[in-house]
Amino acid sequence: MQTTTVSRDFQARQKRQILLRRLCPLLTILLLLLFWQWITDREIISPILVPSPADVFAAFASALADGSLARHTMTTLGEMMYGLLLGVGVGLALGYAIAKAPLLEYVLSPIIVAFQSTPIVAYAPLLIIWFGTGPSSKVVTTAVIVFFPALVNTIVGIRSVSPRLRDLMRSLNAGPGRTFRLLEFPSALPVILAGLKTSTTLAVIGAVVGEFVGSGSGLGVLVIMARSQYNTPLVVVTVLTMTVIALSLYSLVALLEWRFLVWQRRASA
Amino acid sequence: MLYLKRFATILALLVTSMIGAQADLDQERILLTFIPNVQFAPFYVGLQHGTFSEVGFDVELEHLQEPEVLDLVAVGQANYGIVSGEQVILARSRGRDVVYVFEWFQQYPVALVHSSELDLSNLEQLRGLKIGIPGRFGASYSGLTTLLNSAGLTESEIELNEIGFNAPEVFCLGAVDAAIVYANNEPLQIRNLTDAGECGDLEDVEVLTVASQVDLVSNGLIVNRSQLEEMPYQIARMVGAFREALRITIDNPAGAYLASLSYVDTLPSDDALITALTEAAARQQAFLADGPSRAEVAGSRRTMLEGLSRQFDGALLAQFHVLLDSIELWDADTLGYSDLVSWEAMRDILALMNLLGDDLGDLGAAFSNEFVSVSDE
Repeated sequence: MQTTTVSRDFQARQKRQILLRRLCPLLTILLLLLFWQWITDREIISPILVPSPADVFAAFASALADGSLARHTMTTLGEMMYGLLLGVGVGLALGYAIAKAPLLEYVLSPIIVAFQSTPIVAYAPLLIIWFGTGPSSKVVTTAVIVFFPALVNTIVGIRSVSPRLRDLMRSLNAGPGRTFRLLEFPSALPVILAGLKTSTTLAVIGAVVGEFVGSGSGLGVLVIMARSQYNTPLVVVTVLTMTVIALSLYSLVALLEWRFLVWQRRASA
Repeated sequence: MLYLKRFATILALLVTSMIGAQADLDQERILLTFIPNVQFAPFYVGLQHGTFSEVGFDVELEHLQEPEVLDLVAVGQANYGIVSGEQVILARSRGRDVVYVFEWFQQYPVALVHSSELDLSNLEQLRGLKIGIPGRFGASYSGLTTLLNSAGLTESEIELNEIGFNAPEVFCLGAVDAAIVYANNEPLQIRNLTDAGECGDLEDVEVLTVASQVDLVSNGLIVNRSQLEEMPYQIARMVGAFREALRITIDNPAGAYLASLSYVDTLPSDDALITALTEAAARQQAFLADGPSRAEVAGSRRTMLEGLSRQFDGALLAQFHVLLDSIELWDADTLGYSDLVSWEAMRDILALMNLLGDDLGDLGAAFSNEFVSVSDE
């Protein structure tokens, strides 16, 4: 009887802790909003520089009602998705090839590292000239920025496969296809997914940088338009929308990780 | 040893007096747009010729985006900024009480560049053209709207392509029929590409300026309202110093180019060019001593360019040419004077673009000629 009570108490305490953990981020956001409203109410910082949450909410409602926020968001999302497919696709394929053929790394690494270490903002105007003023240049900008984490994590993931397990696959006469499917891919998946998390958050940057350089639509354009019209609340709304997109994509990959790496969790347990 | 001691003493005295002199000056930031460029030559001239320090300012130049310049002046984080008049109207409609006190650009600099084979003598021929523009914002967009409005056309009757600030490349690739540009910059770049045979089959370009259609207010010096009320004498000193620097630049562009070399890293500074410009600047100074008219000075600038063009190729002279074309946009009998008509025209365009609310605001409060008359020539 006493054991059951203790167990119930323990469960209740655990539930409270879980609830508290989930409420904590919301409480932080709420406190931040209150603090933000307080400093704008008292004009500690000029409302010209920092608009109040109420103004931001009004701008959000207005942009939502006239459809501009949805239209620009869809453009950016489209560019991001195609860019992610292209960049991550090439990153995975090239990463696998480099992991299997180290010579390729010696040949390609100077180009890849040079390309990656140059800020994309610097050469984004060139991408506009090379790939046109339409969405393709923004897709390429996104692809370039998401490519590197996918590439590096694939190389690391494939190379970290245990040599003993490789020997085991060889002893079972498994061909390259089976080795990839049954050993390399599952083993590398945690690292690849970690790279994908980075890539998805970078995708927003890639698309918006492309839009900043020259575009007719997208969240980057909305920021420029709002800024040029001195609509600071709308700038904040657009920036927050970008954050929400990045967080959503990150969470989506985290969900995939949770779904596909169930074996890893079980092993840890 | 004795000489060395004397030298050290003199040096110490010089440094002390310089520090003392610096300490007497008011530190001022002037916020500019874009990046360091020969188009900001009057500021470099002001710094180098001491027109700012003569009236008690130790000026520091800073480059930001136009909305940031305006906001920082509006909240008093900087006292002076250079923005276009349309930004003043837009910002004032959004609660920024800034005042435009000196009209630097007397002509709106935006223009449409197109192949000389394209006949745009009748503006209606813009219909159906594929036109490149940096984006649907700022002076370029207002300029295009003005041209379309003058032609009785709407945006839906042309094909508008957002090309960023890449007009020369995109235009030369043939991706657009025409492009909205700054009259004093990109057309020259395109002409240089054309001369070098790097602009497709294009032989020459023509420039249709917005200013040829409507007089719109353009770039000028802004301050905020409280500063205007509390420190009018300080503003008068600053306006006077800038006006003097602008006049020096207009009168002697060779000297202004040489002054700009210390501030603009990428300016061509070939030894032979520097020598030629130094000689041209000295000749111009001697010419100015006779008190020539504005028209005569304009003629001397053209002569200066012709002389230099005989010695140097277009690419090397491109930035000097940009400066000369910019001067054409700045020059006026009364530098800095702002006309209410140009403000009204600008406001009407912004209203047409649905960028202003129902309350169009008091344009009279947006600008002031008070300091222009105080510091008039």
